[in-house]
Amino acid sequence: MTADNTIQSTDTKRGEDSQSGYRENWWQYFTFNKDHKVIAIQYLVTSFTFFLIGGLFAMIIRGELVTPPSDLVDRQLYNGLFTMHGTVMIFLWIIPSLVGLSNFLIPLMIGAKDIAFPFLNALAFWMFPPAGILLMASFFLPSGTAQAGWWSYPPLSTQNPSDPVLNGQLFWCLSIVLLGVSSIMGAVNFVTTIVRLRAPGMTFFRMPIFVWSVLSAQLLQLFFLPSLTGGVLLLLCDLSLGTNFFEPFRGGDPVLYQHMFWFYSHPTVYVWALPVFGIIAEILPAFSRNPLFGYKSVAVATIGIAVISATVWAHHMFTSGTPMWMRILFMFTSVLIAVPTGVKEFSWTATVWRGKLHLDTPFLFALGSAAMFLFAGVTGVMLGAMPFDLHVHNTHFVVGHFHYVVYNTITVGIFGAIYFWFPKMSGRMYNEGWGKLHFLLTFIGANLTFFPMMPLGLQGMVRRIASYDPQYQWWNVIASFGGFLLGVSILPFIANIIYSWAFGYKVSDNPWHATGLEWTTTSPPPKENFKEVPTVTLAPYSYGRPQYSTVDSTDEGAVRRHHR
Amino acid sequence: MLRILEFLVLGVCFAAILAFSFWLGGESYSWMPAQASTDAQRVDNLFSFLVTMSSVIFFGVAGLQIYSLIFYRAREGDYTEGHPSRGNRKIEIFWMGIPVLLVLWIAGYSFSVYVGMDVIGPTTVLGDLPVPLVAEPAEADTVNTGSQSDERVADTVNIGSQDDERVEVISKQWSWTFLYPSKNVTSTELHLPVNRPVRLILKSEDVLHGFYVPEFRTKQDIIPNRPIELRIVPILVGKYQLHDSELSGTYFALMGANVYVESAEDYAKWLEQAAAKTPVIAATNQAALEHAQPPKRLIRSNWYTVLPAEPPIVNHSG
Amino acid sequence: MSNFIPSRELPKQQPQSQTGAQGSDPESNRGFFSDDERGKVLFGMTSFLTSESLVFAAFFVAYSALRFSSTNFLPAGVSLPNFDTSTIIDTVVLLSSSFVIFLAERALARRKLNLFRLLWLTTSAMGAFFLSGEVQDWLKETLKLSTGEIGGPFFIITGFHAMHVTVGILLQTIMLIRSFIPHNYDKGHYGVTCVSLFWHFVDGIWLIVFTLFYLWR
Repeated sequence: MTADNTIQSTDTKRGEDSQSGYRENWWQYFTFNKDHKVIAIQYLVTSFTFFLIGGLFAMIIRGELVTPPSDLVDRQLYNGLFTMHGTVMIFLWIIPSLVGLSNFLIPLMIGAKDIAFPFLNALAFWMFPPAGILLMASFFLPSGTAQAGWWSYPPLSTQNPSDPVLNGQLFWCLSIVLLGVSSIMGAVNFVTTIVRLRAPGMTFFRMPIFVWSVLSAQLLQLFFLPSLTGGVLLLLCDLSLGTNFFEPFRGGDPVLYQHMFWFYSHPTVYVWALPVFGIIAEILPAFSRNPLFGYKSVAVATIGIAVISATVWAHHMFTSGTPMWMRILFMFTSVLIAVPTGVKEFSWTATVWRGKLHLDTPFLFALGSAAMFLFAGVTGVMLGAMPFDLHVHNTHFVVGHFHYVVYNTITVGIFGAIYFWFPKMSGRMYNEGWGKLHFLLTFIGANLTFFPMMPLGLQGMVRRIASYDPQYQWWNVIASFGGFLLGVSILPFIANIIYSWAFGYKVSDNPWHATGLEWTTTSPPPKENFKEVPTVTLAPYSYGRPQYSTVDSTDEGAVRRHHR
Repeated sequence: MLRILEFLVLGVCFAAILAFSFWLGGESYSWMPAQASTDAQRVDNLFSFLVTMSSVIFFGVAGLQIYSLIFYRAREGDYTEGHPSRGNRKIEIFWMGIPVLLVLWIAGYSFSVYVGMDVIGPTTVLGDLPVPLVAEPAEADTVNTGSQSDERVADTVNIGSQDDERVEVISKQWSWTFLYPSKNVTSTELHLPVNRPVRLILKSEDVLHGFYVPEFRTKQDIIPNRPIELRIVPILVGKYQLHDSELSGTYFALMGANVYVESAEDYAKWLEQAAAKTPVIAATNQAALEHAQPPKRLIRSNWYTVLPAEPPIVNHSG
Repeated sequence: MSNFIPSRELPKQQPQSQTGAQGSDPESNRGFFSDDERGKVLFGMTSFLTSESLVFAAFFVAYSALRFSSTNFLPAGVSLPNFDTSTIIDTVVLLSSSFVIFLAERALARRKLNLFRLLWLTTSAMGAFFLSGEVQDWLKETLKLSTGEIGGPFFIITGFHAMHVTVGILLQTIMLIRSFIPHNYDKGHYGVTCVSLFWHFVDGIWLIVFTLFYLWR
């Protein structure tokens, strides 16, 4: 076997690459570094830390709900925990972790040296940990954290039981505004990068779907985040400066806040989901060896989802003082969003159909995410049918649907992305067995946790309650068991990633035999990503061309995997 | 030959999914609580339809994915293409067109259900006008003067039928009070006559609350300083649980009340008896009870909380 | 392993997936801007200003909605914000500063550095004059933050705008200092262009604020 020689030669080559200072200098992850690949890892690690914190909150909540009476935590703390759980998971896990992935991948995928404004990029990152710490600090206030849910509907959120100056709600508002500013910087950066920095030949219809998704998602941030920032700023004024924007007894209108909040917070669901749809569209073709089915319609559907998502926000307010015409109008727009979303789901299915599937961990996560999104999608259309929503609104049915989106689709998709691009980020391969174990535990745990919420909601169990009627206990126990299983499922992931980052075996530049510019450069990529600016001549997902049909013998990872 | 076999298998599977979905749709009625209002029947029909349709889509597409997972695995090391097909316009138009029809069907059906429903929500987007009350004409004083508002008042009156029983629902942190203007009775239990339309005038004295009885299948947020009318026709005698459905603070979970749907005679009798009682401070207020004597808990934060409001003074305390 | 073909047998160029020889494809240079620094910066600035203007839009919509629907928009005995000549003078000064900054930029484009500095400084001074007028207006105002539904919007919106004017003046000062660095403009002057764009934006917003609080009676 001549493979030994080849491995040797790639190793020396890699040694030279890493001397350019990307991997060996661990301390650079703690500095104001402007390299998009460093910032990406900073985002991913920080947001994952918050994910663990948010998960801990969720497990305490599930612990409380094992038994009908309120006996684990007192009610103030319970309200604080679900408020913080929602806020942390959304603003400190999903959004920043996807920004991290986008940071790493966008310049590589479009053949750019870096993001458009590296300084702004680093600045945006360094606003994120302080905002998170500020939010966490509210646990140590005598009055506790914000306790009005992650929506912070006034007048409850401005009711302000304790200190008018230092209270959890104020910390919450400041943190959200800070994160909003950071997100706008990020959005400006991503949109500019994608529109202005593409490599020669990288036309819009040659961009991978992930790039399309990030473009759509960040345009949504750019256009809709101001509404939330504005709303939260006004809430802050009501809370601390004595204005009356949302104070019902002094002429203000609490429903106005709900409009400002949901005008952003519905599109934001697509800010999270679209990049994950993009991830699925990258992973499925690579492991089924088929081009993405109907690439153009998927790209257009991405933009379509973004456009329609701007017109559906009031479906969160079907029960909150919305007149009949509005209920009906928003019902029609809301169900229409299923059409472009369906295009994506069908395209993934057709991509897998008659493929040659390789059941590696990234593929399992991507297909698992796609399958569970199907469930999230059909329950979403149910919720769009407004008369039914009047029954299940603010019950566990909505909580279940929402978590099928945010955990079973988005978080599972993010895990898939981390496994898929881990070789590119670290130059090393993760452990496949541990990865599969992680998938199995996640898949079982996630369904055990979130499916029981559906029947609970149908039966009328209201969300955000610390104690409940004993008739609901059976499903709650199952959900709690699933929740603890989800907590355990994260352990093999952590072990795997830490171990593999340090000791995993080194892989070639393209261990998955995937298409895409990011796989043409070294793993990890050098300082300015490409030795020379690449020129693109092909549409993406060119599976079916002979060079992807082969196993590169210089590819140590693939050789090992396939001689296992 | 293999192709034909595959088509056959898929056809059989699809037929099975179809049959299963229809069975599931029928089964879905049993997942819901009892049907205690006319709206409940309509909503359950809609839900059954949604379950059937969702089930066809879900099991159909997930079935294809699982089928692929089982039958289309690559041999180890085989990195050749599956098939180089990049798309098919006809199929893509098909799967764009069919969902459009399906969702329009769903929305159209939901629309017809909604139009048939007895609920009346608010009439304007922001700053709804107070509903004129028969027993409390003073309410009309807070109406904003202006040409628009006069039209709106006229609107509300038109919808109203004088025949309906009227009950005023007053919510505050964390208790419910029900006022029967016809007999000037107040109660902490909601008693409703069966088979007769009831108009609930929902009011809040502090923060947002929500009126939700699962058996009635409808829900309405209650907005402070903006009474909203909700119309229900109870059709099943029994005892149900009202629950606050919009987060209202620390003791949110305890904000419930018993709802009794009774025959016309029982209802009239109860109203008479209650009217005869002298108003007293409501005895059972779970939030106040728990606030006075917090139960033992593993983790205690002792964070500040808004105090429970004074218990209401009512004729009938449940 | 029937499909195992060692890569040695393939031409070396092959694994470069989407890349190929330059110029072989007529489309190959479309979408390639990476050397256009000015275009990139202006695009980024424009997207930022779009987003920023939507924060103002959110405030304007909130204010208008409350004005239409609130029963306590203007409590008895309270009048709308003072509208006198000083407000008009402030407005005229701020709006004409937009014209001055335009002239400044043109002077810079023609490399008349001193004229540029003079006009640039004039712009900042006009901005500062506007700010001081604004502060005096606030001090004279009988409205409070908690007055009905007019006080909050008035102070929050004009305050938010004044904050932007302040930031604009700060940015102008930075640009003015940097104009003394030798060879500062050898690679173009898009920093100045961005600040000027920002200033036009701030002026445009004031027009709407002015309309909402002073003209809408």
